[in-house]
Amino acid sequence: MTDRAEIIRTEAVTKRFGGLVAVDQVSYRLKQYDVAGIIGSNGAGKTTFFNLLTGYYQPDEGVIRFREEDITRMSPQQRVARGLMRTFQLTSTFDNLSVVDNLVLAFFRAHRKATLFQLLRNTRKRLWHDPKILHTLETFSLQGLRDRMVKNLSLGEKRRLEIAMAVLTEPTVLLLDEPLAGLAESEIQGVLDVLRMQVGRQTILIVEHKLSHVQKFLQRLTVMHEGRVIADGDPDECLHHPEVRRSYWQIEVTAGDQGAPA
Amino acid sequence: MGILRWWSGLLLAFGLVAVLRMFVPLPFANEIMIFSIYTIGCNFLLGRVGLISFGQPAYLAVGAYAAAFYFYYYGTNPYVGILLGIAAGILVSLVVGPLFVRLRSDYFALVNLALAVIIFFLMQKVLANITHGDNGLWFLTSLSSTPVLDLTRPNQFFVFALLVGFAVWAFYKYLDDTVYGACCLGTKINEDKLRFLGYDSFRIRLLAFVIANTTTALAGAMYAVYLGFVSPEITSPARAADPVVVTILGGVGTLYGPLVGAIAYTGMKDVLSKALGNWELIIGFLLVFIMLAGERGIWGTLEPRLVGLWSSLWRRRSPAEGREM
Repeated sequence: MTDRAEIIRTEAVTKRFGGLVAVDQVSYRLKQYDVAGIIGSNGAGKTTFFNLLTGYYQPDEGVIRFREEDITRMSPQQRVARGLMRTFQLTSTFDNLSVVDNLVLAFFRAHRKATLFQLLRNTRKRLWHDPKILHTLETFSLQGLRDRMVKNLSLGEKRRLEIAMAVLTEPTVLLLDEPLAGLAESEIQGVLDVLRMQVGRQTILIVEHKLSHVQKFLQRLTVMHEGRVIADGDPDECLHHPEVRRSYWQIEVTAGDQGAPA
Repeated sequence: MGILRWWSGLLLAFGLVAVLRMFVPLPFANEIMIFSIYTIGCNFLLGRVGLISFGQPAYLAVGAYAAAFYFYYYGTNPYVGILLGIAAGILVSLVVGPLFVRLRSDYFALVNLALAVIIFFLMQKVLANITHGDNGLWFLTSLSSTPVLDLTRPNQFFVFALLVGFAVWAFYKYLDDTVYGACCLGTKINEDKLRFLGYDSFRIRLLAFVIANTTTALAGAMYAVYLGFVSPEITSPARAADPVVVTILGGVGTLYGPLVGAIAYTGMKDVLSKALGNWELIIGFLLVFIMLAGERGIWGTLEPRLVGLWSSLWRRRSPAEGREM
């Protein structure tokens, strides 16, 4: 476990919004092929921390390193080029394009030179039959929806497409912002199935509000509360940490105090 | 077969315009062609990139005055004038574009209008010693005849405008099919996502701005050649909304909307202005109706019905054809 390379390291990262300290001195490490999760109640700072990692916000203090390189002031595009790919809490796809064209956009930036000239030179149609796109359609069970406009998909289908787009870019780290929020039970299993396929291939970091569905899937858990990390490590141990029981558990779980929430 | 299908819509559309020419006066046909080329840039910006501009006359004037200065002070070849108009369009778009495309929709609309006002006053007052102010620059008789297609003859100018229109539409149709076309649609509704996929949305919008306004400048240079004079009236703020009106009338974001819109607008202007006088009032009511009825415009409403009709006819015919073979 210890000889795996360190992918992400944050050093005392802080983000303030006016008087509110959303992320407070968070130091965090992510190693290659980690399947890690960050949980916390609403307002714990997990999504803000996630946005700091992906470049949506810039921290007020602290340093973010990606493979030892300082990426603190880099734009989202520069981080993507280094292998950080994210999904959004509110599913983010191109609703005015077809499913396959959404995949084409994800594919092209990652596997071709996306200069303006190349964007103009290549027709979408030519890429529809690229083996990687065909494989992604199959893996994520999207073949039947291939030509459907994304605005006509269900939330679960859209979420699957968004994760498919992220996976298709073959990033070093896959950052998933609440990938199960708002999904029906059957759709949750579909999304988890595709995520399980990526274990051991990619480093995965999931931010979730509710732990129950991803608990078995995670190898490592970080619990945030009021902008700070209050526990970090093995998911079971984390959940038995006294401070976690006090601050997180009481909000999320009503099933007693002798075990992890189911 | 695929290639044929790609071209067939274009050939049909411009074939119909050529047929229309037989039934309408020549100035009307020429006006339609130039106006539709003027509008397609606005349609692309609004329908594909989500940028509404109330300042398209600015770029029309850039193309027109670039050609006019050449004709009045330097040379006589209409083709050179048109090429200079295109070059001026690219140049001005590249200068103001990096500033303008950073702005989002409403401010973008107004900053372009401001540019149109600036150019109007520059041409009318500040540079009056070289533009002759409101009197404009006249050069109709000094344009030289050209071989093959003589642009000084209105009937040959129409053939030229038809060919240019065909090329412009083929270009925009191709643009729609490219990955760049998908990026434009992407930036229209979800710029954040495009950035987080690693695309430079600023460059994508800037290129769209340059393409659209260069097409508009081309239309401006064609106006200069066709009319033989250019005055500040071409960039009058009173006419600022014209291409937006025609875009909405034809159908925002549809390929043939600008062509249909230009025919409808010019037609109404000619027919209604003779019959009623206040034709702009009718256009106003029509726009309100179009927007209340679902914003799809004339071509946006007709196209799906025509496609449905065509495919049902095709289905009915194809088994019979199969037996014949």
